[in-house]
Amino acid sequence: MTSRRYIDGPEAKITVNDGIFVDVEFYDGLKIEMLEPKRLFPISGLTKYITLLDSEGNEAAIIRNVDNLLPESRETVLRCLEEYYMIPKIRRLINRTEKFRIWLWTVETDRGVHTFEIINHIISIKTLYDGRILIKDANDNRYEIPDVSALDRRSQKLIRPDI
Amino acid sequence: MSFEDLLTNVPIPRKISDSVSELFSGGDSPLFAVVGDLSLSGRYGDSALFVFRDRLVAVDESYENGYIVIPFDDIAEIKVKRMYGNAVLKIEDTKGKRSDVIRFTYSVADVCDSAALFVERIKAGEPVEETLEIVKATYKNLRSFCSKCGRKLANPDAECLNCKGKAKLINKFAKYVKPHVKQLVLCLFLSIFTTSMALVPPYITGYMVDEVIPNKNKQMLFVVILILLSVYILQFTVGGIRAYLLRLAGDKIIIDLKTDIYAKAQFLPMRFYDKTSTGSVINRINGDTSVLQTFMLRITQEAVVQAFTLVGVICIMLFMDWRLTLLSLIPVPLVVLCGRYFGKRIAPMYRRLWRRGTSLYSMLADTIPGIRVIKAFTSENRTIARFERYSNDWLQEDRAAAKTASAFPSVITFLITCGSLIIWFVGGNWVIGGSGGVTTGLLVSFISYASMFYAPVNFFANLNDTYQNALASAEKILDIINAEPEHDFGKGNKPGRIKGKIEFRNVNFSFDRSKKALEDINLVIEPGDVVGIVGTTGAGKSTLINLLLRYYDDYEGEILVDDIDIKDIDQEYYRNQIGYVQQEPMMFRDTIFNNIAYCNPDAHVEQVLHAADIANAHGFISRMPDSYDTMLGERGVGLSGGERQRLSIARAVLKNPSLLVFDEATAAVDSETEHLIQESIERLIRGRTTLMIAHRLSTLRKANKIIVLDKGRIIEFGTPEELLKLQGKYYKLIQIQSMSDKAREIKESENLEIAIG
Repeated sequence: MTSRRYIDGPEAKITVNDGIFVDVEFYDGLKIEMLEPKRLFPISGLTKYITLLDSEGNEAAIIRNVDNLLPESRETVLRCLEEYYMIPKIRRLINRTEKFRIWLWTVETDRGVHTFEIINHIISIKTLYDGRILIKDANDNRYEIPDVSALDRRSQKLIRPDI
Repeated sequence: MSFEDLLTNVPIPRKISDSVSELFSGGDSPLFAVVGDLSLSGRYGDSALFVFRDRLVAVDESYENGYIVIPFDDIAEIKVKRMYGNAVLKIEDTKGKRSDVIRFTYSVADVCDSAALFVERIKAGEPVEETLEIVKATYKNLRSFCSKCGRKLANPDAECLNCKGKAKLINKFAKYVKPHVKQLVLCLFLSIFTTSMALVPPYITGYMVDEVIPNKNKQMLFVVILILLSVYILQFTVGGIRAYLLRLAGDKIIIDLKTDIYAKAQFLPMRFYDKTSTGSVINRINGDTSVLQTFMLRITQEAVVQAFTLVGVICIMLFMDWRLTLLSLIPVPLVVLCGRYFGKRIAPMYRRLWRRGTSLYSMLADTIPGIRVIKAFTSENRTIARFERYSNDWLQEDRAAAKTASAFPSVITFLITCGSLIIWFVGGNWVIGGSGGVTTGLLVSFISYASMFYAPVNFFANLNDTYQNALASAEKILDIINAEPEHDFGKGNKPGRIKGKIEFRNVNFSFDRSKKALEDINLVIEPGDVVGIVGTTGAGKSTLINLLLRYYDDYEGEILVDDIDIKDIDQEYYRNQIGYVQQEPMMFRDTIFNNIAYCNPDAHVEQVLHAADIANAHGFISRMPDSYDTMLGERGVGLSGGERQRLSIARAVLKNPSLLVFDEATAAVDSETEHLIQESIERLIRGRTTLMIAHRLSTLRKANKIIVLDKGRIIEFGTPEELLKLQGKYYKLIQIQSMSDKAREIKESENLEIAIG
């Protein structure tokens, strides 16, 4: 088993290649192209332990903490992650109706207004220990409510029964 | 042009149809379209992809004219890149330039997949009409929704069970009460009788205070006491009989309900269990049914009795003094308002409490059967800490609910007491002043009736609490009762003994939309073929088997057995034709004999012995002290992995199936046991179409065909000789395996030497 290569900070320069892919140049001259940054902890660690995978899905390196990278590299990785992970943040619940055990939510998110269905609200809505609420719709799309108490009163009232 | 007849996932938004209508006015119309739900910048919005015979037209706000035209000839590669919660259709043009065409959420990903596949196939020279059929299959699957409720159906023509006989909540559960209606009606009459008896004593008390005691009439006092004693004896004797009958009826109701939920749970598709924890299901069968039972009895019994009491008491009170009766009604509106307010507050609390309770149950369901693992990893204290955390979460939620639930009765009782105080104050003044025609006895009697009057008011106000609690439980029970069961469209279609031809036609499948588990599966297996399925972990081997076993029905394309779609064959009959041996066979807490005869409880003893013989199991069973009567622990505790495996093979032998499926049957056993299992497998597969998933390629020595899966696709399919010549993935796997087999043999022989030495 080969030892895992970690990127701690400035020892690697990361530049964007194509959309969500990056090129990584290490201080020892090694350059790897077309790597895909992915979160190892997409729910609990948004900027920590980012794996860099090649087109075959093999890991080239792991970034321990994005915040310790060079500013340009950091920006690049964060932009790629932002592009890859679409978890709209719900700012407001516009409507929540239930018909025949299917919940229809219309929400205002940071990416615009959207309507989606939740088939089983018991398993599709999870409250995490840090207070965030994760929602999975009938098509496996994800949404997040970062802080329920920051929602307006009506939204809070609509969501309370489900959390 | 009109897009009304165009094959599309959702109707084309007007904004898009307006922007491209000019482009399509030449008469050349698209074959199908994909309406996206994200812009390329990642915001919710309209986008679309129109697929023609020779080009794509993509619509997105970021394009200069609102759209771009991409001829197929310019496309070198096209694919859907699934990300997290969204995906893009990516192309690489003939000059090597890569670009994103449209972006969409997972809701649209399946149809975009078929668009990419369409382009690939047309470019590869396949006929348009034939390829379009594959696209239509995807759209057909997508459109399998009930037009009324939007619920996903197993196929477009399926009847929506949710909408069938859409009765209200109460009707759903009324059927459990109906069989016991005679007993309940009898209980009701007995209740009315006891309630009537309860109305007598206050009246007699008033008479005693006004007539008997002031007149010092001892004889009358004795008569009155005797009457009261008789009333009490009748009231409590009948009350006891009623309680017994009610309990019997209640127990029957709960057993019927539990049995129904359990039976329904047996026929729920695997998808339900993929997403629902077993703890949650157990909680619903046990806890929620009890809550519901209490509620049903309260509604069918107590509510009627209390209503009767309410009317009876009001009549008596009006008869005694209408002015005091009106006074006693003063707190009623406040009690009702409080009830409504309380109901709104407590309902979400009960739901949250249920969730915490379910987490606790799920943890128990996980950890108690896994006690060996916990002990092996000395994680007892961590498990206890986790349990404490979940318990505390429950406690915290329960405290909040208890605060509201406890405050409410106190408030109600206080209001009722205020009502009594008003009667005491006004009535007392009338008695003292000698005005209003109210005597001491009447006042005492009235106060007793007033407290009896407030009891039903209190009951109905509190009923909301029980109702909300029951509603939370009913919702969870309905999740199971209303869940779509496995569909059996071919019920009754039993096409005789299956010969064993298996065909997968354009099969695509995903557990969730984030990743395709199987993609574009096409293969034909002839009767009697022994087919090895190989591939790395996660390649889709077990998924392929799961579809063949009909554990999942919502795949695209068709799976045929003897040229009949498996969905059109009677499900029970079909599954009975398949023998399935798993990597970790499930044994039940029963005797070895019953575990072997699980599929055929009426099997003759000698049939079971014969099956055990073929499975190389008879030897070890007969050496056990209790032999075939050996009672196995939960999940087969008491047997080694290899022994469990051989029992599982014996089970399959007894079933005498037409098709055989082995899912890594020898993965977790040593070489010697593998040899024994292998021997039994070879006896079993003779003349039967067999599919074998194997990590150890030595298991596949009898296979005449090999399927190599990689990332959900078939990358190689043919005879072992053909694949070896190909020098592809199978060849590499053989090479790696022969190296590791040698290493294993050396290690095992070393261990043997050490053991002997």
